[in-house]
Amino acid sequence: MPLFNFFLVESTAKNQPIGDSMAVEDTVKEDKTQVSVSMANPNYAIYVEGITKTYSNGLVANNNVTFGVLKGEVHALLGENGAGKTTLMKILSGCLSPDTGSIFVDGKKVHIDDAMKAVKLGIGMVHQHLSLIPSFTVTENVALSIPLPGRLKLDIIREKIIAVSKNLGLEIDPDTKIEQLPVGLRQRVEIIRLLCQDVNILVLDEPTSVLTPLEVDELFRIVRGLKEKGKSVIIITHKVKEALAVSDRITIMRLGKVVRTLNASNTNERELASLVVEGFVPSTNGTKGQPGELALIVKGLNVKGNSGRLAVKGVDFLVRSGEILGIAGVAGNGQKELVEALTGLRKTESGTSIMKCCNLANRPPQFIIKKGVSYITEDKMKRGVILNLSISDNLALKCIEQEPYSKNMIVNQRKVESRAQDLIKRFDIKASDPCANVSSLSGGNIQKLMVARELSNGSILIIAEQPTAGLDVKASEAIHTKLLELRAKGVAVLLFSADLDEIVKLSDRIAVMYDGRIVGEFLSGSLDMQRLAKMMLGSTT
Amino acid sequence: MGQETQAQTQTSASPALAPAPTPSSATAPDAAQPLSRGILSRSRLRSIYKAAISILLALVVTSVLFIITGANPLVAYYYMFYGAFGNTSFLIETLVRMSPILFVSLGLGIAFKCKVWNIGAEGQLYIGAFLGAETAIFLGNSPLALPASIVLAILGGMGWAAIPALMKTQLGINEVITTFLMNFVAIDLVTWFVSYPFRSTTADFPQSATIPASAMLPILIPHTRFHLGIAIALLAALPLVYFLMAKTTFGYKLRVVGENPEAAKYGGINVKKTIFLALIISGALAGLAGLFEVEGIQFSVMTSLSPGYGYTGIAVALLGGNNPIGILLSSFFLAGIYNGSVNVSIQLGQPSGIVSFIQGVLIIFVLGSEYIMRFLERKGVFKR
Repeated sequence: MPLFNFFLVESTAKNQPIGDSMAVEDTVKEDKTQVSVSMANPNYAIYVEGITKTYSNGLVANNNVTFGVLKGEVHALLGENGAGKTTLMKILSGCLSPDTGSIFVDGKKVHIDDAMKAVKLGIGMVHQHLSLIPSFTVTENVALSIPLPGRLKLDIIREKIIAVSKNLGLEIDPDTKIEQLPVGLRQRVEIIRLLCQDVNILVLDEPTSVLTPLEVDELFRIVRGLKEKGKSVIIITHKVKEALAVSDRITIMRLGKVVRTLNASNTNERELASLVVEGFVPSTNGTKGQPGELALIVKGLNVKGNSGRLAVKGVDFLVRSGEILGIAGVAGNGQKELVEALTGLRKTESGTSIMKCCNLANRPPQFIIKKGVSYITEDKMKRGVILNLSISDNLALKCIEQEPYSKNMIVNQRKVESRAQDLIKRFDIKASDPCANVSSLSGGNIQKLMVARELSNGSILIIAEQPTAGLDVKASEAIHTKLLELRAKGVAVLLFSADLDEIVKLSDRIAVMYDGRIVGEFLSGSLDMQRLAKMMLGSTT
Repeated sequence: MGQETQAQTQTSASPALAPAPTPSSATAPDAAQPLSRGILSRSRLRSIYKAAISILLALVVTSVLFIITGANPLVAYYYMFYGAFGNTSFLIETLVRMSPILFVSLGLGIAFKCKVWNIGAEGQLYIGAFLGAETAIFLGNSPLALPASIVLAILGGMGWAAIPALMKTQLGINEVITTFLMNFVAIDLVTWFVSYPFRSTTADFPQSATIPASAMLPILIPHTRFHLGIAIALLAALPLVYFLMAKTTFGYKLRVVGENPEAAKYGGINVKKTIFLALIISGALAGLAGLFEVEGIQFSVMTSLSPGYGYTGIAVALLGGNNPIGILLSSFFLAGIYNGSVNVSIQLGQPSGIVSFIQGVLIIFVLGSEYIMRFLERKGVFKR
């Protein structure tokens, strides 16, 4: 095991019995004394052991996670979305509290109750979505997070900002308003804000996701500068290249567990990519459908994301009826924007999405629904259901205006309820009563409810985004069967999933989306998993 | 006696109060509750308790005011109850008072259900009343005067509400501010109209001409002021609004848009159209409220047309949980407080502003009732 050797080398170099306990999650189960030695190792700026965090909906985001960051190192936390990276860092920065596990800062066991406590311990986090007040100046924003007793002393903070930015070569004008700064500089302000609070460990959550390539280079320069000053930096990312480019060591997480910690100089893109998406065996390999006529033709679709930058860049694809097209890709590469454009929830800049000779681009959702497009959304709580309405009302959402559920605007409550009862039975939704509020259901049952609604309205195209999110194996299997049944009936399915397993299992064809583009397409028969995984992570070789 | 009787009236009346999905209840997970169906389901009972608690607390706070001004609260509440429901003529007067409040709050119930906060019913009421009354005056003593005035009052209220509705749906301007500020525009506009271009030539004070006899609402109970408008409110407006909210696709859309506009959009509901319709329907009912006050009670448009029915309607709709039956009961209750307060001020020399005070306190407690209820549930006073 090369990894093992690496740590042996490292330990001898530092003349400290670090052991490999912090590296590989699976090897943690060793005797306690050695672990405590490694915790006490003052070379660790921060060390966490056995962290487990289960969310209220049952999702285990962190499962017995153990990992450590050395003083003065840049450490990348690499993994797909939902791997638990952000949860772990939120625990370190006091935004979340773990169910079990211990945290050691400078070898001392600590309890991090809130973000203020974390900052006091020298841990600060720059969140993915920046949290600055646009109409305030840089100084005012920094002042917000530095509680000074008595009168607000902006001058002192201003001087501190200048001192910090000079020291690290982070030029910034403390008197500019945030709204006048580009995103890259706003991020820099967040970093300066943490440095003004004397933070020693900086956590950057997906820092490059909002940056242009030039800004990314600049950020990496800053990160290296921080390292030289003895600060530890943790970068959360799902991009292999970036992890390799900037960090000293890389910890890979998958499904809430630490897979491995590697020395960046001892590994390569290929190895990392395989570690990030490794470990799944396609259970049934791509069943074949009977593709018929063209159901949806998407041509040159350009869609802007929330940041105002193009998130979908000239996407072309087509789906035939009786066919499942899987779109693989790490979340955040434009899938969400693409789906929203196709379903009428987001404006399209240019391009067409043609269904039965009718362009659906920039049409309202009600038009697209009437054309026979179903949409299983990823944001089920925010968008897919109405929590404070009954199950039967929720199931009626897209058919309330059709006969027999209503006629001349008058709702036939009996029909609505009997349909609800029928769907509850068919999709095995655990509900006491169709009149109960959806808020009384568990997350998995809410997912089933939404899927039931979307798969039961006789659509000719189903856009399914994570259709089995939060479901157990049996329930997932039931939904897969249902999708395959519909395919056999000639329904076209466009499947978006973070679960490669699912995509491989169901799809006739698989397109890979990266950075807003379709970068490759595979037939389910001739699938090269290695290449697929690499494409998903933006590697072109 | 006084306070207790008041409270008793409320509790005896309240079992019919219907579910009140207040904004805050959105976050309360009523999970795993066996929801029995029928009139007195758990959630329905809970909202009845909420309304009763709000009223009780409002009356308690008002007693403090009575004590400060030197009156015995129990005596004061006795006079209040007597002035509202003490004998047949007081009771009928309370119904007369209830009519405009009911019209306004039924409309507001529709708007609030969809979470559109129409604070402008007062202005919509004035504009509707003025347009309707002037139509009747213009047509003179013709059988057309009454129906035409009703149509114009509805259009007037709708039109006045359509301005903030368009501002909200097209430009995204918050309707709370626009509807509220347009009240002042409406009242001043009507005041100017009846002071100058449309001023009666015979009256000493600024007011419009008297409406023709054909436009006056017939009195249904002789020797009282119980006019046709009250019957229309109870027998037409109330069932119609109930039907609209509970049995139609529009009512369904109101609920969905109100609870989760994002899901409504996803589900193919035209959110802007729903909001627009909810606002103008509430405007239409406010316009009718104003017109029937003129045609049933006052017979000309005066500058003091409404003592704030448009605002009272807000309290009523919230207290009634935006449910037509709840609104009926709470509008009867607030009409009683109106008339009762008048009696209190006559008998005890209390300030007549007491009614606004109770209303204000009531709104605060209704808005806070979800939290009070949760607090009581935590303390074990009520079962969860």
